[in-house]
Amino acid sequence: MMHCTMDDLLALRAGEASVWARRHVEDCAVCRAELDGLYQRVAQLKALPALRPPRDRWSVVRDAVRVERVRRRRTWGGWTLAAAAALAGVLLVPQFGTSGKLYAELSQAKEQSATLEDQLQNYDVDGRVLTGRTAARVADLEDRIAVIDGDLSRQGVATAQAQDAELVKLWQQRVDLMRQLVNVRSTRARYVGL
Amino acid sequence: MTVALAVPDVLVARAQAGDEAALEALFRAFETPVYNLARRMLRNAEDAEDVLQETFLEVVKSIRDYRGEGYLWGWIRRIAATKALMRIRRDHIRATEPLGEEHGKPGMHVGANLDLERAFEHLTDTSRAVVWLHDVEGYTHEEISELMGKSVSFSKSQLARAHARLRGLLGEGEGAQA
Repeated sequence: MMHCTMDDLLALRAGEASVWARRHVEDCAVCRAELDGLYQRVAQLKALPALRPPRDRWSVVRDAVRVERVRRRRTWGGWTLAAAAALAGVLLVPQFGTSGKLYAELSQAKEQSATLEDQLQNYDVDGRVLTGRTAARVADLEDRIAVIDGDLSRQGVATAQAQDAELVKLWQQRVDLMRQLVNVRSTRARYVGL
Repeated sequence: MTVALAVPDVLVARAQAGDEAALEALFRAFETPVYNLARRMLRNAEDAEDVLQETFLEVVKSIRDYRGEGYLWGWIRRIAATKALMRIRRDHIRATEPLGEEHGKPGMHVGANLDLERAFEHLTDTSRAVVWLHDVEGYTHEEISELMGKSVSFSKSQLARAHARLRGLLGEGEGAQA
């Protein structure tokens, strides 16, 4: 008598068996026992005890977290420096055409941005425990500042097309975001009493 | 092993923002299921430890890309399974063995009445991976074939061969099987 193969039994378990296999297993006690055995093996596999890691690997992962954080901050800082350098280059080009008023606004925004950067450094950002909402807010602000820094850098490269007012606007937006970031950090610092 | 870990959204948000305490909490929540998955798929305990480490390095790197589709465990498990399968593939290439070829082991013979855990250890890495992913973790053959870069029929045949071998190693059902 022909019996079910393992393929047939697995197909029966998956509800994909042939008509022959479905009928056969109803009549054949041997194959029904095989199918039961298959179900039992799978149940036993699922019930195997969890194997636990013999050593703690968190320290290695944590070190990678810290390296990644430094890398991100360097990238962010790099954009800032690149944007500042680009701006300096732009201001030194006589034909740039920046009016006296715009020039003053630009200088002011740049100065405020640098001051806020300094303030931010005082909050020991890497060591601070943040709530989920605050952390998300900080990440959002940092991302938006990085985007503006990218825009500023591109403006610096393409000075011929750069619009004076647009440059001032970008720097002012940057100052606004930096101010929000400093507020979030300082509020958190006051809250935890540090 | 069934993993039913509910991770609060706020913890994920903090981890996505790079909060170290939140990342450690995720590591602590998932280190055992990740290690268990890797250890069941891989023969070597040290390889499984390496997969655990590689998985969380990837989690740290990519968690900002996790958009909350499905369970976090599903996302982490897929990373871990991919890392383990990469290691199996790499070891097979090094050993110049075709993927999934049964290799004999000293002292192993059919009908030895081993317990299931020991019998499972006697399967090839590929067979073990397929059995574990399909029967325990609930992956479909389509998902397994995608992870392994193989066909669906490869996954199905590996599962059938593995169960036939387990059955033999456990000394079950001597009468059946054409």
